[in-house]
Amino acid sequence: MNTKSKTLRIGSEPTEPVFIGLHNPLVFIGGPCAIESRDHAFMMAESISKVCHRVGISWIYKSCYDKDCRSAPNSFHGLGLDHGLNILQDVRKEFGIPVVSDFSDPAWAAATGKVVDLIQVPAYLCRQTSILRAAAETGKPVHLKKGQYMSPWNIKNSVRKLESFGCDRILLTDRGTFFGYNMLVNDLRSLPIMAETGYPVCFDATHSIQLPTSMGNISGGQREFIPPLVRAATACGINALFMEVHDDPPNALSDGNTVLDIQYLEPILAQAKAIHSLRQELLEQWGEDNVR
Amino acid sequence: MSGNIPVHEVMLKLSQFPNLLANSLMVDALEYMSKYSLGIVCAVNNEQKLLGVFTDGDLRRMLLQHQKPLPSLMTDDLSAHISPKPQTVLPSTTIREAVTKMEDFQIWDLPVVDSENKLCGLLHLHPVIDRLINPK
Repeated sequence: MNTKSKTLRIGSEPTEPVFIGLHNPLVFIGGPCAIESRDHAFMMAESISKVCHRVGISWIYKSCYDKDCRSAPNSFHGLGLDHGLNILQDVRKEFGIPVVSDFSDPAWAAATGKVVDLIQVPAYLCRQTSILRAAAETGKPVHLKKGQYMSPWNIKNSVRKLESFGCDRILLTDRGTFFGYNMLVNDLRSLPIMAETGYPVCFDATHSIQLPTSMGNISGGQREFIPPLVRAATACGINALFMEVHDDPPNALSDGNTVLDIQYLEPILAQAKAIHSLRQELLEQWGEDNVR
Repeated sequence: MSGNIPVHEVMLKLSQFPNLLANSLMVDALEYMSKYSLGIVCAVNNEQKLLGVFTDGDLRRMLLQHQKPLPSLMTDDLSAHISPKPQTVLPSTTIREAVTKMEDFQIWDLPVVDSENKLCGLLHLHPVIDRLINPK
């Protein structure tokens, strides 16, 4: 892990800002994959808030208004830009938590940037110059997910693009890497490699266990691997943990095969927090690894 | 005597040899070395101060020392692989002194820096020899 890692401050009035960085506690980023309805968004925000409060972990609400990368044309696409952003804005105000959403079209960036505290670049689009430019121009910190097709050292090219467009607040996330067809694996070396950029790193556990489009025209997933991967990535060294969470995964309107059932959120977050704290203690005691 | 010619009369100008910001990617550094057909690239900061050099010899050592995949070496910063304290000469140094330095250190390129360590040129052995055997 790079000791020169920057610290990101995410959130502004009326939210309670969270800090993501090497010397900060682990931050959780989570929520339902898609904004399904106002009531559902509020219910999920309230439920996750309670869990995070019990665990004692700062968090950022994640939900998207337009899922442009669905496998099938008739899959739920989302509530749309205006309606979705209105709901996110209200969640942000009501619960006082920072929010994040992705965007898949440069034309959506400005409106998204006016609402969210952290703007997300989807993994599939992580090298698209127009998307990166639009994200940077919002002036918000950027959550850049490493493409499943991309080596961890090549994400530096996207980082350089963001920097060239004036963005110097970036969170880098590993969400798995293609291993042949319809299969992802996690190369945990990607975390320290991406951290060499000097930016904080995040592990996306629920997309990492995805089996992309393995069900013909939808993606499958192996949820049983979420807990061990969370523990492994946290011990390896991350600054934030990303998981999509739902109260009823079989009926979730997006990513039903990968979202974590909220009933399991607390034990996973509690373990991640404990492992993260231990790692920070060990880092303080033993210093940086230097075994080259 | 030709040997008393000052370095600045024979050196390559900044536009004639590879000199890049230290945070440039290795792939760009290698491409520039090939473009100029020189076995050296000078790494500078925003004030044009010389931070180090990367040479063909450094490339050989890098390939032997580093076990990580070649594509990942390509995206390293140039600064990660430079020799930070290279031999240099001043513009006023005579080419006799400079060539002696080249012999002493078994090198044929010497970055030329001013008194504030700002890069102002590169002394390459071939133009020096050309000047010595074809005096003006």
